[in-house]
Amino acid sequence: MNARSQMFDLTVEGRQADEAVASIFHTVLFHRTHGKFLYSTEGSYSIGTVGYTDVDCDFIDLTYVCCSSPHLDQVLKREISSFSEQLRGNDSSGMGQITLEFFQRKPRTRWLFQSECIPWEVWTVRVDLLTFANEGERQAYREKVGELLADKIFSIAEIMNRHDYLPKMPSQSELDLIFDTSYPDVQPYLFKVNYSISGPSSGSSVGSTMKKLIKETLSL
Amino acid sequence: MKLSTQETKDLHKYTKFFALKSAQVIIQSRLGEKISTPCKPDNQGTDWFNLNINDLPEVLAQTKKALNGEIISAGFPLCVEISLRTPEGDQMVLESWCLNLLSDQCDPTMRNIPNVYNRMGMLLKSLMSVTRITPAYKLSRRQGPDSYIICYRIYMESPSLLNLGEGYKSTKIGQICTPIGTLQFSVAYRTKMTISPTQTGKNNSMMVKSDHFNSNSNTRRHRNNDDVSDLTKPMRPGPFADPKPKKPIEPELPGVTRLLAMGKYKQRSMSKPITDIESSDSMKITDESIINKKESTPSRVLMTSSTTSRISTISNLKSVDEEYWMKELSAPFATRGPMGELMQFYKQCKKSPPLQSPQKNPTPEEITKMIEMYESQLPEYDALVQSFCESPDNN
Repeated sequence: MNARSQMFDLTVEGRQADEAVASIFHTVLFHRTHGKFLYSTEGSYSIGTVGYTDVDCDFIDLTYVCCSSPHLDQVLKREISSFSEQLRGNDSSGMGQITLEFFQRKPRTRWLFQSECIPWEVWTVRVDLLTFANEGERQAYREKVGELLADKIFSIAEIMNRHDYLPKMPSQSELDLIFDTSYPDVQPYLFKVNYSISGPSSGSSVGSTMKKLIKETLSL
Repeated sequence: MKLSTQETKDLHKYTKFFALKSAQVIIQSRLGEKISTPCKPDNQGTDWFNLNINDLPEVLAQTKKALNGEIISAGFPLCVEISLRTPEGDQMVLESWCLNLLSDQCDPTMRNIPNVYNRMGMLLKSLMSVTRITPAYKLSRRQGPDSYIICYRIYMESPSLLNLGEGYKSTKIGQICTPIGTLQFSVAYRTKMTISPTQTGKNNSMMVKSDHFNSNSNTRRHRNNDDVSDLTKPMRPGPFADPKPKKPIEPELPGVTRLLAMGKYKQRSMSKPITDIESSDSMKITDESIINKKESTPSRVLMTSSTTSRISTISNLKSVDEEYWMKELSAPFATRGPMGELMQFYKQCKKSPPLQSPQKNPTPEEITKMIEMYESQLPEYDALVQSFCESPDNN
């Protein structure tokens, strides 16, 4: 099965990058997060409640909604800030992309070290950095980015409410193949964040990807 | 394939609670404050749609009243209208959120009612996300009694989008296919926040025509209401012209002026009271409410006096306690309701205690006697006054 793919292009100032990506990814994750499943007997379960939190951006004229899960926020924040740091770093050309990928694991390989992951939805944000000469332009752009992101959030809502494929609700034994059950308060679909920076030399990009791959393997 | 009775019952129940929760999401997002509700992982599925959406009792009551025991049906959408109101009573509709049922677009094969339930949860999440990005959200965060307040109205009919001015935007948020039709959520919102007088005139004339016999419509009545309040006020600035011209009417409000002079007033501190005069039509009173910061210190006192106008005074009672003031409009032939009595009582309590007066009217003979008695005691009074004047403590 091919994964659905959504692509957003953003042109933002360096300091806006974190919040811009977070507003999109948090909105997506909010839609893709359930309450914790509580199984009583096989086949019967109840679902916990998901709380929500308004987040005011500091550098963008925007408020977005995310799950009230500090852990989920932490995970996402970590990924986004390492992307943003590299994007704004000296080696960077100021262009890069970050993806939020939802996947499910294949049951028959689950005893292996790393089971096969099948992505079913990929959200990509391509970020292009720009700089401003003066504070006036910067202030105007603060509003402008808010409007741009508002449009993106409208489209996320529209996409979420299409009757598209979502993994079937699993039985208790297969819960880990669909959902990330490591969070104490919420249960998002399995997801991972990847990013790449198009630097002046392609070496740094490969290097960072490799570093990330190794890090991911170790964390498993 | 027909739905079983249980399935129909469930579907109606889900639709009803979806409508109730939607109204809560929309209206709470316009309270002017950030919302945060915690996750409850151990909750045994007792929260509707597994979402922690608080229920404000007033909003719940208003939505139930609008629904009137019915479920949303084709041609009768549930509409939540958000409007802005200035302290002078001018009003501007900002957006209309509309939950509609398209009965011609139904999917009889879609019999999975739990799936409909999950979709409703998803649509509510979209609604939460989208309510934060329309222009009215930013306005609601900046609301205050000195500039404007945000009001809402819930009703069951197709919204009149002409209220939203030229260039309004209309967007579909999402839809859910159910066996009884497609539930669709959409929003139409104003993009031009300033109205020139000519535009107002044009819109108004159109509104009068289209809503002439419509008891739920507020626009025309508001115009009438404005006329009423005109009689009771000195000259006012034009609608939405500029907040500054408000100044000339402030001397009418002694409490306000004093507060400003005392420097108690701060931006967004809600420390300045305003009066909000509305039409007293019974529909109006119940249908339209002021979005106020209920969780925080400001409290609201609503009074239906013996008049045709409702006066609601928003103030921070903590800081305005002494300067508390209110204004009553009196109209002929109006009956005094229980709220009117309550207000009278409240006003009496606020005033200084009345002077003691004789319980019965004295006869002329008694008066003459009293005068004689007081005259005979005059030297005593003189001596008393003299003693005050001569007292060394006197200053």
